[in-house]
Amino acid sequence: MATVTPDHLATTLPAPEKAIAAKREYAGALVVVEGIDGSGKSTQLYLLKRWLEIGGYRIHFTEWNSSPLVKSATRRGKQRRLLTPTTFSLLHAADFADRCERQILPLLNGGYLVLADRYVYTAFARDAARGLPPHWLRNLYSFAPVPDITFYFRAPLDVAVNRITAGRPKLKYYEAGMDLGISLDRAESFRIFQERILNNYDQMTETDHFVLMDGTMRVNKLQKLMRELLGDRIDLAQFAPKKKR
Amino acid sequence: MKHTAKSTASGNGRPSKAEKNGKNGRITPASRFYGLPLPGVNVQELSGSLIVVEGTDGSGRSTQISLLTEWLESQGFAVQTMGLRRSFLVGEDIDNLLAENAVTRLTLALMYSTDFFDQLERRILPALRSGLIVLADRYIFTLIARAAVRGIGRDYLHGIYEFALRPDLTFWLNVRPEVAFDREFKKAQTVSYWESGRDMSLSNDLFQSFIRYQSMIKREFEYLSKRHGFIELDGEESVSGVNRVLRKRIASHLGIRGTYYKPSHALSQLWR
Repeated sequence: MATVTPDHLATTLPAPEKAIAAKREYAGALVVVEGIDGSGKSTQLYLLKRWLEIGGYRIHFTEWNSSPLVKSATRRGKQRRLLTPTTFSLLHAADFADRCERQILPLLNGGYLVLADRYVYTAFARDAARGLPPHWLRNLYSFAPVPDITFYFRAPLDVAVNRITAGRPKLKYYEAGMDLGISLDRAESFRIFQERILNNYDQMTETDHFVLMDGTMRVNKLQKLMRELLGDRIDLAQFAPKKKR
Repeated sequence: MKHTAKSTASGNGRPSKAEKNGKNGRITPASRFYGLPLPGVNVQELSGSLIVVEGTDGSGRSTQISLLTEWLESQGFAVQTMGLRRSFLVGEDIDNLLAENAVTRLTLALMYSTDFFDQLERRILPALRSGLIVLADRYIFTLIARAAVRGIGRDYLHGIYEFALRPDLTFWLNVRPEVAFDREFKKAQTVSYWESGRDMSLSNDLFQSFIRYQSMIKREFEYLSKRHGFIELDGEESVSGVNRVLRKRIASHLGIRGTYYKPSHALSQLWR
């Protein structure tokens, strides 16, 4: 039983650096890509996944925001614009918890190489940009296993924003951070919101041991580098197909 | 009454305006939240009162809330209520998750916290800004207790609810699990899956499971009561007896002089 401390609960919170439990008791490994929209991270993770799939490795791919369990609530909240920064954050945490408990952790325990397109750092960067305190977010996601490697894809703001706005006629309400009331112009709001998120990512680079990737490099060169870095950090042989006797 | 709520530690006298504004250092605006205030909330604007009634199913909680609502309205106070799974955002989704029994404990705990903050931000804070009395039929304490007995860390849970508003008064209607079982059984001819903690595989026997689960919840409440200064009431007393104590404490908090109350015809069947 925890000690009884009558007041000021904030003082009982773990320090942000230690909040993500460093449990490393599973056989698998966790590979994460992070970065703002348009940084090239999804393309690179897709290529990495294809390479590993073709090689017959034991992998599983998971993305942010994909759990069917809370999908209807997320959709309802977004469509009717009911979400506040707090409920936006909690709903995404519930969604991630579901994915974590039903996919990520069982797969890591089962010895899989799990590839995650966005992870808790997305919540840290984005929800902090919505005004939530970092220590609260760190606590909220403290159940998440620490990645074995986190690739942080960084592209200059203009490059990333142009990649997104060129291919999309209309930005979505929450995507553009319209709920923050920064600007009535969606493109403008999106840019400012992304800039805040980018700054938050930059601040985590050192504390969370991101591997910085230059999102402006040529796709195939960047992919070659990513494969090398992955091989340096993780013993891929343990996920390779078993040779027949 | 073993414990007195921290925020009303000045005793039985009504809180003066100065006290409400924090001039004597007791109720400072910052202390209305457990940690940092919710983003975008100005605590100075919250002129209403938040009164929480906690207790397990069968503790008489809902009955007391109905009676208190009528009494407060008769005294000229506007009342807003809140409870579990009543948010527009996810209330129904939680109902569905519970019905399907296809959810893990952590996801459920976080869905409940979403439900809680949706009500708090979109209904309760506006009500408190307008000077209403908010009667909460359960609050973060039930949510913390339920999750804690399922192995989720207490500090983790308190961290999530750091943004919750600290109630002006928190009553705990304490009843023995056996009594709660009798009352629930009488009411519904069975006890519910979740209130018996059937998801925790405590016992195949429904009665045993209910008693074990509610005993675990009760232990959590004893801990929470110390930590948060609940006003503990004997929920096994008569409805009118419990109600009298509730009225007295609330009257002294709100500065209502008379506490005489006789339920209307519509509620008279509750008055046992």
